[in-house]
Amino acid sequence: MEALAKMKVESFREAFGQALVDIGRRNEKIVVVDADVKKSTKTIYFEKEFPERFIQVGISEQDMIGTAAGLAIAGKIPVVSAFAVFLMRAWEQIRNTVARDNLNVKIIATHSGFSDYLDGSSHQCLEDIALMRVLPNMKVVVPADAYATRVLLEQIVEDEGPAYMRIGRDYAPRVYDGEELRLGHANVLREGSDVLIISAGVMVSMALRAAEILRGKGIEAGVVDVHTVKPLDEGTLTRLARKVNLVVTAEEHSIYGGLGGAVAELLSEKVPRRVIRIGTSTFGRSSRDYLSLLERYGLTAEAISSKIMEVLK
Amino acid sequence: MSEALVEKLKEVLRPVNNFHLDSSLSCLSIMQAIFEIKRENDVVIVSKGHSAPAFYVILWKLGLLKSEDLETFAEIDGLPSHITREIPFAEVSSGSLGQGLSVANGIALAKRIDGDDGRVFVILGDGELDEGQIWEAAMTASHYGLDNVIAVVDRNFGQLTGSTEEIMRKEPLAEKWKAFGWEVREVRNDVETIKETMIELDSVKGKPKVIIAKI
Repeated sequence: MEALAKMKVESFREAFGQALVDIGRRNEKIVVVDADVKKSTKTIYFEKEFPERFIQVGISEQDMIGTAAGLAIAGKIPVVSAFAVFLMRAWEQIRNTVARDNLNVKIIATHSGFSDYLDGSSHQCLEDIALMRVLPNMKVVVPADAYATRVLLEQIVEDEGPAYMRIGRDYAPRVYDGEELRLGHANVLREGSDVLIISAGVMVSMALRAAEILRGKGIEAGVVDVHTVKPLDEGTLTRLARKVNLVVTAEEHSIYGGLGGAVAELLSEKVPRRVIRIGTSTFGRSSRDYLSLLERYGLTAEAISSKIMEVLK
Repeated sequence: MSEALVEKLKEVLRPVNNFHLDSSLSCLSIMQAIFEIKRENDVVIVSKGHSAPAFYVILWKLGLLKSEDLETFAEIDGLPSHITREIPFAEVSSGSLGQGLSVANGIALAKRIDGDDGRVFVILGDGELDEGQIWEAAMTASHYGLDNVIAVVDRNFGQLTGSTEEIMRKEPLAEKWKAFGWEVREVRNDVETIKETMIELDSVKGKPKVIIAKI
């Protein structure tokens, strides 16, 4: 906990809100649609700068998705944003209208994972990667930090077609410092011969620190940031998996159907390896502190490294 | 409505056990009226995608589909049973109810941003009005004063398993739309009446419009 508290941390949603304004300056086609959460998602910055390109639909995520679909049909690049869990109530709209017609709608889900710690299980979204990953045409992107949020948002907007980007609230421990990140390409952060840790989002920084802990115990762990969960960078992952006997996935999401599910599907067909999935299998709970939740659910560097040592024993 | 269109529709649906025949029959005059007054920059959204057969028959009348195309209805590589986007004039796929009005609003808002005076016609089923999203979208259209949105409710009083009033009461329907801030007309479901009403509604500014076309 102490080590976590000392890390250089930025805010996912601040990064998103500010990046959206920058992108909006360069691209007049961007229209932002909000379901009365603009202060929480920070799309309020965009509204202040471009009121004529900001559409408020009220607390109605289903209508928001349909409205965005119409904007995309008419040639705009709509960016819709809301808490991840409440976007999921529009899953069928996303499926039947946006994904089916391959519409150019960008869905930015904030407050994912446990990041909305105080609001508890109703607001914590641990299922969205699975739900979005299953949709044809849909890209699924999970940035590791504030920098990755900005860079990948730009790439998503330039890329034609529907995309779902999942970010947390404010806890974005810095992983990157100007490195090149490319949509669709997993980013290898560390090579290792004993175990490969595949992670996304906040768990990338946890995985890096877990690898440090493991090195102290004589275990060499590779770490890869799979910021694009779909389409999965199969080439990089199979290449890295061939070098190790154990693959561990770490995500702030259910172990069912998320990054762990995607990796297990791939490796079982292409490079059979033992895959340990670290994530959740229950609903969350409310807490006054985000990091205490990560600890409770076994999503810290210490928990990841302990799990790996236990399996390697 | 043209008897030839009705005959054609029945012919299309005979091999598929009259798939959504009633829903299509009551939609024919609405679609005919819309396509007769449609301008180049107007858009048509068929929210009740179950009326795809009626849409295909109208496209056939416009010369955009051939009789042979109609014969492929619901065949594996033929015309899809519900509206999908690859069909001419189908701006968006439907078949899942309740979503078309939101899409219409999005197109209307984009037109406003672009200074395009085109209208967006959206065909809603009366059964479809059970979907909450319709009323979310009704609020959005009215909040933004989208007078380029013209909804037509196919008020045929039937939905999948019974009468609309028995399954989920819609009346007083006109009052509901009025209360949501819409300009409302209740008319007889025939081509000329619907066309006249649409032309008359063109002069109404500042709010979205709905025509309840009653069978």
